[in-house]
Amino acid sequence: MSNPETAIRDIYGRTLATRKPWQTLCIVLPMVLLSFMILNRGITIQSDPLQLISLVITYLFINLLFVLMVHSGKIDRYRAILFVTYAVCFVISFIPHLMETRGSNTFTSADILQGKIPFCHIVVPMTLIPAVLKRTIIFPGSMLEGFASIASMLVLWMGVTLALGKGFCSWGCFYGGLEDGFSRLARKPLLKKINPKWRNLSFAVLLGVVLTSIATLSPTYCTWLCPFKTVTEFEKVSSVLVLVQTIIFVTLFLGLVVVLPLLTKKRTQCSFLCPFGAMQSLTNKINAFEIRIDKDKCTQCKVCIGICPTFSIDEDDLEQGKANLTCTKCAKCISHCPRQAISMEIKGVDTLCNEREKVFSGRTLIFLYPAFILLMTMGGGMIRDAIHRILLLLTTGKLIQ
Amino acid sequence: MRGFLLGLANGTICLAYCVPVIVPYLLGEGQTVKRNYLELGQFLIGRLLGYIIFAVLAWVFGLMILKQNSAGTREVFFGTAYILLAGLLFFYCFKKPKNLCAAEYCKGLLSGHNRLFLPFGLGLLTGLNLCPPFLLAFTSAVAGGSLWSSLFFFLAFFLGTSLFFVPIPLVGFLKRNQMLRSIGKMATGIIGIYYFYMGVLIVIGGIKQ
Repeated sequence: MSNPETAIRDIYGRTLATRKPWQTLCIVLPMVLLSFMILNRGITIQSDPLQLISLVITYLFINLLFVLMVHSGKIDRYRAILFVTYAVCFVISFIPHLMETRGSNTFTSADILQGKIPFCHIVVPMTLIPAVLKRTIIFPGSMLEGFASIASMLVLWMGVTLALGKGFCSWGCFYGGLEDGFSRLARKPLLKKINPKWRNLSFAVLLGVVLTSIATLSPTYCTWLCPFKTVTEFEKVSSVLVLVQTIIFVTLFLGLVVVLPLLTKKRTQCSFLCPFGAMQSLTNKINAFEIRIDKDKCTQCKVCIGICPTFSIDEDDLEQGKANLTCTKCAKCISHCPRQAISMEIKGVDTLCNEREKVFSGRTLIFLYPAFILLMTMGGGMIRDAIHRILLLLTTGKLIQ
Repeated sequence: MRGFLLGLANGTICLAYCVPVIVPYLLGEGQTVKRNYLELGQFLIGRLLGYIIFAVLAWVFGLMILKQNSAGTREVFFGTAYILLAGLLFFYCFKKPKNLCAAEYCKGLLSGHNRLFLPFGLGLLTGLNLCPPFLLAFTSAVAGGSLWSSLFFFLAFFLGTSLFFVPIPLVGFLKRNQMLRSIGKMATGIIGIYYFYMGVLIVIGGIKQ
């Protein structure tokens, strides 16, 4: 048990258990070694001092968060810090990268024809059916070459989907951290009552964009709706059509990624618009992990309903004893449940009796390892590159090489 | 026979153009498979009427309608069809039969099982669509010369493409899922927005010409 004088307390003033240092060390040691190999891209010696500094900062930052996560059991708190940093660093890294390779973060019709557009995971649901029916990828990107090739992203998506299901949205998505960050800025939500029916909207968007993509053989979501074009790349405004598309995606970004998360403390873009998230919800059905609610311990205080950023728990879910299929496995509900009634479990296996002393169960750790490896692998590269570019800006006055 | 084979060869493309309209509609209705086949039948009859209109146009105007000098009128016509289709999709997305119209006749027309006009209208407006296989069929029908050969050609083309629609009503197996009904209705609205904007663009393009 923890010493009451030095013990970590949660937001309700309860004393939380922490692991003993040697236990924490044993758990984090494999990650410490693995993260070194991944971030350093094998055992290479960095000759560029700026690269070395950025590598060391990234390595220490990521491992510190993992140690704190394992030691204190506050998965969501430290995941969020890394997830938001990853999203911000993605923007800092991605735009200069486009400027280096393409000369600008706007693209033209010529770039589309030459397949110079980096592929992102949100396009996956639109490409699958046309790929089967027409044996063609309806996205103007490169299959194997370049920064984000279609083949690499598809392989990554398949692997992560099998391992984590919709966990991708809280541990791998390089956009999700932006609205996750905005949703944490306000102390209390100003908008509380949101009709749960709106939760279905992302599925309707998925259905709409998949069907229209089949009809037009083009990724309609990317063309018309994707709000993240605002902070990545977008088509050069050269016609009224492109102007209208630009107004739509900027409005959606400001509305769903900035303003509504601030007002509701929810990830509104993920919940109401993202077709990829909707598709990943379906993959939660085949994924091994689930958030389970112990009905014997649950006092129906509904803290989890209010705190869940993606509307994945409601009264019906409390009755059923598990989060619904839109759960992104961010573990926020686990951290905030005053009765420790919520835990990460493996489907088909009985819930473990959560003792008061336990930081989190071994099953949570089974989930945490692959989830953190994903976040570290994808986020680490971005954070390292962003730090390197910032250092470059400070020393040479240029963001691009 | 040529029309039927052309329909068979291009059925997947026709299906791709029609599923954005019919699948969300059937999901939103949440009816049984049997009822879905009836609704699909109404949709296909509407589509057939659209084809017949084209058959007559093919006979009256020949290839003139596809020529460059009539492009403006053609685009205004098809753009308007898109806008009407979008209007119908919006109507379906937001309709509440009980309080839509105070008149008894309207209530009867829009509620319960007496909703023939909706899938029929969707089918008709989807039929008035210059998709690539349809252009092929139109060109072939024009080559026939007479009204009857043009009509028969489009009828055979319609039958060939309609075979691909047979599995669609099977979404009725999901009829008990209230969430899917809600998703279907919302999707009709989203697709309506898409068709509306496409229609406006096509009309503006036509007027400019």
